[in-house]
Amino acid sequence: MKICVCVKHVPDSAAKITIKGKNQFDESINFILNPYDEHAVEEAVRVKKQVGDSEVIAVSVGKKDAINTLRSALAMGADRAILIKTNIRADSVITSRALKAAIGQDGKPDIIFTGKASIDNEGFQTMYRLAAALNMSVASNVIAFSLDQERVLVECEMEADARGIIDMPLPCVIGTSKGLNKPSYPTLPAIMKAKKKEVKIIDLESLAIEKPMSSIEILELKPAVEERSSKELKGQPEEVVMQLIRVLREEAKVL
Amino acid sequence: MYRDIFKEEHIILRESLKRFVENEIVPHVDRWEEERSIPKEIFKQMGEMGYLGIRHPVEYGGSGGDIFMTLVLAEEIARCRSAGVMAAVTMHTDMASPHLARKGNREQKQKYLTRIISGEIRCGIAVTEPDAGSDVAGIKTTARRNGDSYLLNGSKMFITNGYNAEILFVAAKTSPEAGHRGISIFIVEKDTYGFSAKKLEKMGWLASDTAELTFEDCRIPRENLLGEENRGFYYIMNNFQDERLVISAICVSHAQQAMDDTIAYAQQRQTFGKSLSEHQAIRHKRAAIALQIEAGRQLVYHAARMYAWGLDRSKEISICKAFCAEMINRVAYDCLQIHGGFGYMKEYPIERMYRDVRVWSIGGGATEVMKNDIAKRLNI
Ligand SMILES: Cc1cc2nc3c(=O)[nH]c(=O)nc-3n(C[C@H](O)[C@H](O)[C@H](O)COP(=O)(O)OP(=O)(O)OC[C@H]3O[C@@H](n4cnc5c(N)ncnc54)[C@H](O)[C@@H]3O)c2cc1C
Repeated sequence: MKICVCVKHVPDSAAKITIKGKNQFDESINFILNPYDEHAVEEAVRVKKQVGDSEVIAVSVGKKDAINTLRSALAMGADRAILIKTNIRADSVITSRALKAAIGQDGKPDIIFTGKASIDNEGFQTMYRLAAALNMSVASNVIAFSLDQERVLVECEMEADARGIIDMPLPCVIGTSKGLNKPSYPTLPAIMKAKKKEVKIIDLESLAIEKPMSSIEILELKPAVEERSSKELKGQPEEVVMQLIRVLREEAKVL
Repeated sequence: MYRDIFKEEHIILRESLKRFVENEIVPHVDRWEEERSIPKEIFKQMGEMGYLGIRHPVEYGGSGGDIFMTLVLAEEIARCRSAGVMAAVTMHTDMASPHLARKGNREQKQKYLTRIISGEIRCGIAVTEPDAGSDVAGIKTTARRNGDSYLLNGSKMFITNGYNAEILFVAAKTSPEAGHRGISIFIVEKDTYGFSAKKLEKMGWLASDTAELTFEDCRIPRENLLGEENRGFYYIMNNFQDERLVISAICVSHAQQAMDDTIAYAQQRQTFGKSLSEHQAIRHKRAAIALQIEAGRQLVYHAARMYAWGLDRSKEISICKAFCAEMINRVAYDCLQIHGGFGYMKEYPIERMYRDVRVWSIGGGATEVMKNDIAKRLNI
């Protein structure tokens, strides 16, 4: 069985982001394998072990440094990797087209795992666009996955407290969520082994993907300001209520 | 940062260790401090992760990694805020077992190193004695040849992992009249008849067991002599190099953790109408702490680069150890000061760190001994 897993190189959520200019940020901070994608890699490797005679290929669209994230995926058990190298900030449309082209070149897989979103852009779209482009079934927000011959049974988180169960045929695209599994941290021998695994680098331009009719451009980055302070309202109960209404109306602007 | 020394594999290892420390160590530290040791199970877990054999040969289960991976291990484990945990682990990985990896023969490595790397057995190194610490050549424990074995007699002091370790590398005089040229190292199994260990109570490093060892006509088979007879002093001095570099890296990381905790505390603590971190005196203090840590880090990385390039770095490592061990003591003092009264209370980690760091300027070569060495190497 051929299993692809799409991974993204994203800024560490614990890192301090410093905005540079209008729409750039200091990229010397620590970058990590997108946390949702870790569940995707873990599941891909688990399925490989279950099925036997399978191959897991990690694929990423990103800058040269994204190779670190591919190495993480290799250390977690992927067999080889493909980096689609580009310096542009790819949105979900470009990313899914690039993935489709590179995966298509490599040979169509039986299952593609992705995270349900990347923690930097949170587009929540790549898996759907990729599935549509490759004409494969798709499910996202997946928290349980099982494979039986040619069919896949998944449980997806819908809205609060609602779960959907989907039975679908192979080939398919699966967007993994947090509850699916517990990603293991790579052992040192696995890290050393990953150093020797193949990472193929393809330039995005060389894939000659069709230019989308529309795309997303980030015009400006601003830090999210979280300012909370307490305020004490004093006086008789009636006065306090009046003050509260005024605050809610004029300051919080919620009434 | 430091992309010249920390490559992809180091970054992944750091990430892996970070999580391991966060999930498998940090939640248990308080209990381990109370129990005065870390459980055997954690060694096994670390063994499975490959953390116990970073630079050891692949054929015995090690990973054949480089010095920078060892720095990553030291830096990340130090982040658990317990130098006791740190001591128990690095004693096993970088202070004791390298003796076996370097000087052991095939059989010895097959028998012991494989199990040290997998975490099945723990180890320690016993050099210091009640009457000889800095002056290693002055040790009095003797190992007399007796047929096919040696009879070990004497005692050892302040031995980390001394109570729990299944094997110890023990320095003893095989030619007492020959001074430092008469010392040999032996592999001693814990249940050898005539060997006993007594736990010592101490000021810090509570999660690490420290023991006084006694050997009474303890019979050590000849095949447990490590390397050559009478070469032990040189083996010890040689390994000190590694050990001191690792200790220095721990000091820097521990200092960084203390500073990070202190900054977080100072930001939320209000005095005189503003947060503590906004007072200029505190800002200066923080800057002074940060620059000391940075200086220490640069010394460590410089010495590690020299190590990786195969250059003689004896002087640099002595400078490193002397600087970093004193630095962490100043940093811990200043960080506790910024915490005020809360820093003196057990519920704040700085209280433990302050106690823990005191020993770094004593163990592994005291600052005075490092300065003697630096002076000698500078010809002053
Ligand atoms: C918690 C802990 C764990 C330890 N773990 C181990 C272990 O696992 N294995 C092991 O073998 N040892 C261990 N030690 C021992 C440690 O290495 C020694 O304490 C250290 O080498 C200093 O020796 P000492 O205590 O005998 O002090 P001494 O040698 O008596 O020195 C006392 C003081 O005099 C200074 N001094 C000594 N000589 C000179 C000189 N020539 N000029 C100027 N000043 C001098 C020293 O710097 C020190 O400040 C441990 C110690 C501690 C506290």
